[in-house]
Amino acid sequence: MADLLGAFEQAVLLAIVKAGEDAYGRSVLRGVEDALNRGVAAGAVYATLNRLESKRLISSRLGEGTAERAGRARRYYRLTASGAAALNESKAALEQLWQGAKWPLGAGA
Amino acid sequence: MMNGRPPRWFEWMLMSVLPIRDRETISGDLFEEYCQERLPRLGRLRANFWYVRQVVGFAVIRLVWGPFMKKALFAISLFTIAAGCWLAVMENVLKHDGHGGRTVLDLLIAAQGVVTVSVILFRAGSLLRLVAILGAIAVAWVGGSALWNILRATHFEGFVVVIGAALIAQGILTIAAFVRPHAIR
Repeated sequence: MADLLGAFEQAVLLAIVKAGEDAYGRSVLRGVEDALNRGVAAGAVYATLNRLESKRLISSRLGEGTAERAGRARRYYRLTASGAAALNESKAALEQLWQGAKWPLGAGA
Repeated sequence: MMNGRPPRWFEWMLMSVLPIRDRETISGDLFEEYCQERLPRLGRLRANFWYVRQVVGFAVIRLVWGPFMKKALFAISLFTIAAGCWLAVMENVLKHDGHGGRTVLDLLIAAQGVVTVSVILFRAGSLLRLVAILGAIAVAWVGGSALWNILRATHFEGFVVVIGAALIAQGILTIAAFVRPHAIR
């Protein structure tokens, strides 16, 4: 079994999945903030994107520059087959971990 | 929508800390977020504060986990290898009391540098990385105690200050770099 993804990595991958065709840095940042319900440092998101790309869990392509970005290009991300498999595996592992335990846990559980 | 753009100095700083590949895309993302979301919602002062925080975050990542640290650690390690060898040779030329023990210590300092450089160059596995981390604690302690002793001594020797400071820096950078598995790439 490959290394399981960390919670932040899962949040970034899921933000890419949810953003679909519009998954670029800013939309991923906002997706992660929405999912975690807190502000997130942009640097942490981009460092994670780079790491996931070097692990080949996501791929990227450059888009066109637009006026609202002062002509600067966007980098669009998409999940690879390995990325989807890693996400599935992480979810399955978490579910297996919780199997048999009552939820939510009470005090002294 | 308010007219405006992020503080120019910090835009420039962001560009300078980003790797070339990401300069245009990340600065564009932050520009877009600043102009379209933060500035209208937060006002100029808080939007600027948000932007500056992001830039500082990128700078810290670059400094702590980026190529800068790799190069700095590599350079300091080469220096401490040379310093360790030079000290060992000088101990055996001058042959002061207790030079045997100090020669071993000098060679261990050089060996720690070799281990650190090897981990960086060959992306060594967890065992050598662990050795480097343990050695880093030791060299930082040796450097710290050398500095402490020389600053309290009546006879000041500048080379001890330089080598002691280098050992402390090497220890801190090694721990910061190697404790995180993705630090050195």
